[in-house]
Amino acid sequence: MKNADVIIVGGGVIGCSMAYYLAKSKIKAVVLEKEEIGVGASSANGGGVRQSARDLREMPLAMHAVTKLWPGLTDELGVDVEYHQKGNLRLGKTEGHMEILDRIVGQGKLAGLDLKIIGRDEVREICPYVSEEVIGASFCPTDGHANPMKTTLAFYKRARELGTTFITGEWVKSLLMTKGKISGVITGTNEYHASKVILAAGLESRTLAKTVGIDLPMQKIMLEALITEALPKMFPQMIGTAAADFYGHQTDHGSFVFGGVTGLEPFTSDESQPVTRRFTAPATCRAILGYFPCLEHTKIIRTWSGFLDEMADHVPVLGQVEEVPGLTLACGFSGHGFGISPAVGQLVAELIVNGQPSISLEAFHYDRFRRV
Amino acid sequence: MMMERFEVIVIGAGPAGLAAAIEAASNGMQVVVFDENSRPGGQLFKQIHKFFGSKEHHAKIRGFKIGEKFLQEAETLGVKVVLNASVIGIFQNREVSVMLGDRISHYRANAIVIATGASEKMIPFAGWTLPGVIGAGAAQTMMNIHGIRPGNRVLMVGSGNVGLVVGFQLIQAGCKLEAVIDAAPRIGGYGVHAAKIARLGVPFYLSHTIIGARGAEFVERATIAEVDQNWQQVPGTEKDLELDTICLAVGLTPMSQLARIAGCQVADLPQKGGMVPVCNAFGETSIPGIYATGDVAGIEEASSAMIQGKIAGAAISLAQGYLSAEDFQLRYASYDHSLGQLREGTFGHENKGRTDLKTTDDGYPLSQFLFRKGYLADGELSHYPGVPTSERLNQELMPVIECIQNIPCNPCQDACPQGCIVIGSTITNLPAINQSAKCSGCGMCVVSCSGQAIFLVDVNYAPGYAAISLPYEFKPLPAVGTSGVALDRSGAILGEAEVISVRKTAVMDETAILTMKVPVQWAMSARFFKQL
Amino acid sequence: MKKPMERTFHTSEFKAQADDSLIICRCEEITKGEIRRALYDGMSTINEIKRFLRVGMGLCQGQTCNRLVKGIIAGELGIAWQDLEVSKPRSPVRPIAMKIYANDGLVK
Repeated sequence: MKNADVIIVGGGVIGCSMAYYLAKSKIKAVVLEKEEIGVGASSANGGGVRQSARDLREMPLAMHAVTKLWPGLTDELGVDVEYHQKGNLRLGKTEGHMEILDRIVGQGKLAGLDLKIIGRDEVREICPYVSEEVIGASFCPTDGHANPMKTTLAFYKRARELGTTFITGEWVKSLLMTKGKISGVITGTNEYHASKVILAAGLESRTLAKTVGIDLPMQKIMLEALITEALPKMFPQMIGTAAADFYGHQTDHGSFVFGGVTGLEPFTSDESQPVTRRFTAPATCRAILGYFPCLEHTKIIRTWSGFLDEMADHVPVLGQVEEVPGLTLACGFSGHGFGISPAVGQLVAELIVNGQPSISLEAFHYDRFRRV
Repeated sequence: MMMERFEVIVIGAGPAGLAAAIEAASNGMQVVVFDENSRPGGQLFKQIHKFFGSKEHHAKIRGFKIGEKFLQEAETLGVKVVLNASVIGIFQNREVSVMLGDRISHYRANAIVIATGASEKMIPFAGWTLPGVIGAGAAQTMMNIHGIRPGNRVLMVGSGNVGLVVGFQLIQAGCKLEAVIDAAPRIGGYGVHAAKIARLGVPFYLSHTIIGARGAEFVERATIAEVDQNWQQVPGTEKDLELDTICLAVGLTPMSQLARIAGCQVADLPQKGGMVPVCNAFGETSIPGIYATGDVAGIEEASSAMIQGKIAGAAISLAQGYLSAEDFQLRYASYDHSLGQLREGTFGHENKGRTDLKTTDDGYPLSQFLFRKGYLADGELSHYPGVPTSERLNQELMPVIECIQNIPCNPCQDACPQGCIVIGSTITNLPAINQSAKCSGCGMCVVSCSGQAIFLVDVNYAPGYAAISLPYEFKPLPAVGTSGVALDRSGAILGEAEVISVRKTAVMDETAILTMKVPVQWAMSARFFKQL
Repeated sequence: MKKPMERTFHTSEFKAQADDSLIICRCEEITKGEIRRALYDGMSTINEIKRFLRVGMGLCQGQTCNRLVKGIIAGELGIAWQDLEVSKPRSPVRPIAMKIYANDGLVK
């Protein structure tokens, strides 16, 4: 039996980010992680740090993260998180694609984002490697990418240095309530007591929330990605397509990380462990070569797969669960939590410390689904 | 667009994979074997030495010939062997993706056999990334497949069978083997393999480790030093060696990635060499229909791999309805017995890692000197049943069999037309001289001994001279009449010797019998001839 | 990691060792000292060290260095060797050019 001020369930980028910002405010949380630091979606994502093409509800968090938090993160954490702000290019080959991009740009402008449509020539000025078939793109100069594995471990390292307790190999099985309030958690081997518990456990957040009667409309989606050998530096932008068939970037190491979507994902995600399918990587390669034929001889050295915690309306659940005092949720990032992770960490820390985040989290309320 | 489906997909055309394919195909199954190399046979094609075991284990046949035989057998049975085909992944539902040429193809199978073998372990030391530091297996590939000498002056790190066998092959290729070292206090491989090298003058440094390699752009020098029982360097024992190549023969580890990707349960077992798929007695992994056999399921020898492959092939045939339960039981019993034989003896499964063995199973002393130095001390010979009494040696030409550890091996028994050599049904027994048989001096035992441990000694060759016949596998073959020196078991020069006969016929399969004339007092110590 | 492990922060300073410059991961050229430092900084599993330093992310995907790294972790952290998991292998087990991977005959 151990006592803490705050328990964070989940040692991914969200959990570690919150732990860091809490530690910065002198609160030494206890982070309980089932396996290893950053082993879930935090190490299975494309590394995009973007504002463009986000749901309007996420925009304030994304813009805050990109403007105020990401640029200084490497210095602040003392680890190179490989953040680069060189823009996001979303490519189009057909009129249909350009219409999709128009809508994305329109949406972004509503949030005051620097996002515009660019034509053939301008695309090639920015990225000369695109295929002849590309007719235009949307470009957001303040978007970028970073290294999600290093970022997660950087938050962990610094939080640990500041006194946060991290315990791995601790599988939280259930939340504890006493006299109507959160009083801690039960793991496979121990009991931990705290008046404040934050769930940042990806898909398992749903299971755990259920133990106190909260069910979130979250589903498991399995997504795959591939990694190439190192190449000389080609382009620094984050790449996506209007067709949404692949996305990715070139890392500091020189290798490319590309995720791809076949469209079969909602029907082929029922695995207990993330696996790769025989047809996904070939499909992703076809998609990539459709836009970057120059990569035809580039060797792929690994593929991987991970589970997304997809919410019914594609944005996370963030904030306190008023009906279960002491419980805060930070889950359901639906495949785009990495880019906003510093903001989530900071805001949830503010919520815990001041009772109030500096940017409203109302739109992410756990009970919003009933209200719709 | 139909997905091609096979009854059996075998991954790896090495001894285990081909054996499994042949077994399954012989029962009527449709089998395809994918191998990523341009030449099939796995490790077999690098093995230029004669194998141990008994006839059913292909004893006294050179490894690459066994490989050729397997291939022919596979072809005859209609097994499709696809080369340059890399299996890049195993997916759900026994799906296999194969990279071949400019495309990738997906296949499904009713049964998959993973026979991907092993890769070499490495030990890091200062300078290990310099050109010139290579695995012993890599050196073997260079020499025996590509005909390239890996270097000129070589240090072999590791005294297991790989280190000893490759060490000998390096010398055959024209390299100078400066030393064989091992951090353990005993030689890990067969005494006969060590003796082959020791008699050429190669020193063994046991309880020694490599401290570092130095050189401007490639290996030029290496430092070795003694270690104590706690593997700590003993100060003042450093030795500096001038060389250009360091071969690491520090063990093999299974290449079990495909099994793990498929989701097979694995266990990290040091006695098996590392991460292996957990299999039942028939080679089936935790995933029904997926089998693992050969080195990937646990490091052993090629001979064991062949039998394990057969077992898996038979099990698949049973599971898929191509073999009755009774027939399977019979076959399995026979294969299992054969495999059991290979696992007996001084180096057998039960004795792995033991450093306290003092006697053989049949009650003879195990030479501790041999374990430490790589050769028998003169005085030790008389203990063994394969060494004739001095009485008999004085009377007539006799074979002297210097094979004194329990190794499952008996081609010498079958080789002698006179019945001079007896091992019996327990093939790990030490070979013994049959007191009532008469040696004709044909030398077939000399060339049939894969350990090159049999010599013919005629102390009555001429007044004051003995004739010693020994196995000779070096080029050029000295001509009759050549003068040189005789070396003893430690490689020390005894004195002048002259070649009086060189025999090499096709049936000897490249092992010549060289007979040298030496002063009679060296009859029981002269064991190699060196041309000056 | 199956057993609970508390990632206690060291109060003592990181101690350099004589063989810290020894390269362990040849593909990515990571030294023993970097691995030891990462362990000191809280990385405690093969996967964490891999993601932090790129150990085992190169062309051989850890076939050469996984065992060596396991030994270093076990030694530095006093964990039993058998309790450490190595990182997961993934397809393709051999590097494959994009053009070839794209050509699986299912769609042109």
